[in-house]
Amino acid sequence: MAVPQKKDPLDRLFMIVTATAAISVIVILTGIFVVLLSESSLAISRFGFFRFLASTDWNPVTESFGAATAVFGTIVTTLIALLIAVPTAVGIAVFVTEIAPDFLKGPIGIAIELLAAIPSIIYGMWGLFTLAPLMAQHVEPFLQRTFGDLPIVGALFQGTPMGIDIFSASVILSIMIIPFTASIARDSFNLTPAVVKESAYGIGATKWEVVKSVVLPYSKLGVFGGVVLSLGRALGETMAVAFVLGNNHVITASLFDAASTITVTLANEFTEADSDIYLSSLFYLALVLFLLSFIILAIAKFVLLRAEKRYSR
Amino acid sequence: MTREQKRKIENIAALSLSSLAAAFGLFWLVFILGDVLVHGIGALTPELFLNDPAPPGIEGGGLRHAFLGQIMITFFATLIGVPVGVLGGTYLAEYARGTKLARVIGILADIMVSVPSIVIGTFIYALLVRPLGHFSGWAGSVALAVIMIPVVLRTTEDMLSLVPWTLREAAFALGAPHYKVIVQVVYRGAATGILTGVLLSIARVAGETAPLLFTSFNNNFFSTDMNGPMASLTVAVFQYAMGPFEEWHAQAWAASLIITLFILTVTIAGRAIVRWRYKS
Repeated sequence: MAVPQKKDPLDRLFMIVTATAAISVIVILTGIFVVLLSESSLAISRFGFFRFLASTDWNPVTESFGAATAVFGTIVTTLIALLIAVPTAVGIAVFVTEIAPDFLKGPIGIAIELLAAIPSIIYGMWGLFTLAPLMAQHVEPFLQRTFGDLPIVGALFQGTPMGIDIFSASVILSIMIIPFTASIARDSFNLTPAVVKESAYGIGATKWEVVKSVVLPYSKLGVFGGVVLSLGRALGETMAVAFVLGNNHVITASLFDAASTITVTLANEFTEADSDIYLSSLFYLALVLFLLSFIILAIAKFVLLRAEKRYSR
Repeated sequence: MTREQKRKIENIAALSLSSLAAAFGLFWLVFILGDVLVHGIGALTPELFLNDPAPPGIEGGGLRHAFLGQIMITFFATLIGVPVGVLGGTYLAEYARGTKLARVIGILADIMVSVPSIVIGTFIYALLVRPLGHFSGWAGSVALAVIMIPVVLRTTEDMLSLVPWTLREAAFALGAPHYKVIVQVVYRGAATGILTGVLLSIARVAGETAPLLFTSFNNNFFSTDMNGPMASLTVAVFQYAMGPFEEWHAQAWAASLIITLFILTVTIAGRAIVRWRYKS
């Protein structure tokens, strides 16, 4: 790639301007970390790190704050969402790449991706007015009747089904992350060399056997990267869960209890924090969320880059 | 049962499950969009666009203030975010192509795209709201701009990379300095792509609520003052949906319908343009 050696002063200026714009990405990310860290210094010095994470207290009156309930809600809703979304997304990817007739592949792929374009506030609104009543009247009583009496598992389905709970929030989250996982899984599947698939078909493998023994092993790194990316996305989702989770600071075994996540706590309490330590604790929560999602997204990016490198060989 | 039959049944079962998964995904899309359409269309009246909110119980209130606020906040966010994103992408694709710095910034931008938007809200709150002592439309615009930058930067970089390097070499050979080549040759070749990226980034931020909660906040009155708290459609939807009044709910649905239609239209148009322009 030849580039002229003689430097024009205007060219130097343009380069500096563009470089500044590019470096703003680093500046902003570092800025977020530094600002959140300094804003939460009050809470950090009062509650420490591990004590803050382990404490289930969230009491503005006694000014005692801990992140455990919010972190619990964040992790539980995200994991349940992944449990629903990942098999569905992989199924969709299999359908789009292997089963659907050619004229359907594009439209279905786009339709699924449109799910990702719907803003989260719409999901939240729909969740509150449509999904939550459906859950409360039909789905949750059914689950309770079916599984509520079983030992151990039954504990998950106790309480009065109100629809404003961990279960509804997880279902909404799962719908939101299906498209991310599905589109990355589809792209990874598509990278499987046709020759390899054809040789499997050639020795008499069924479609499912080709998917199971050729496509999936070949693309598992990419699919895994997509799952981690969805995980990172789901952790930070705010509005979709804010409507249906109830902002209740508890750690509960039942899926039918209201709970809270880091994002929901922030959305509900940030502008109402009336003392310095309260606001500082909220900033501390934001810092925890930032670090958590940054690390997970970095892992996802790393895995996806590895996968890309492997396929391009 | 023979081994053959077992394999066949397994095959049919697995393929049916996959098809079911696709139907499951489509089901939610149709369900959500249909629901928003059915609930929203009834409340779509001229008053919604022309009037400011009325006290609960009084007919004829609208969301004019929120439409205007949304447009202003998004407009200024675009004005801040797009130049930074386009120029940054230019640096990565032109001056720093293939360097370690370009790779690192590219990866960080990809991560930044997915950083929880509510965290960006708290960041801008600490930066622009608390020091000044009040919420402001500007803070909302900056928060949205921060979300736009990595999106625009990455698409610009990708689009510029699609312009063949030999085209630049032809211009270099005529003695043109690099900046002139970029502005007059490369940008021209990638204009459609960059514009599409900008459109998609606007669609991306138009539905954002969380970063506005602590920055532009909300305002129940008509205001064009970017220095004060400002209403936006998304925050209005949040407030109205959580509120106790039927009229509020109806207006929230109508506003949701408008937001959804806008975003889906822009998204589909953007994709169509990309497909048409870069189908090879």
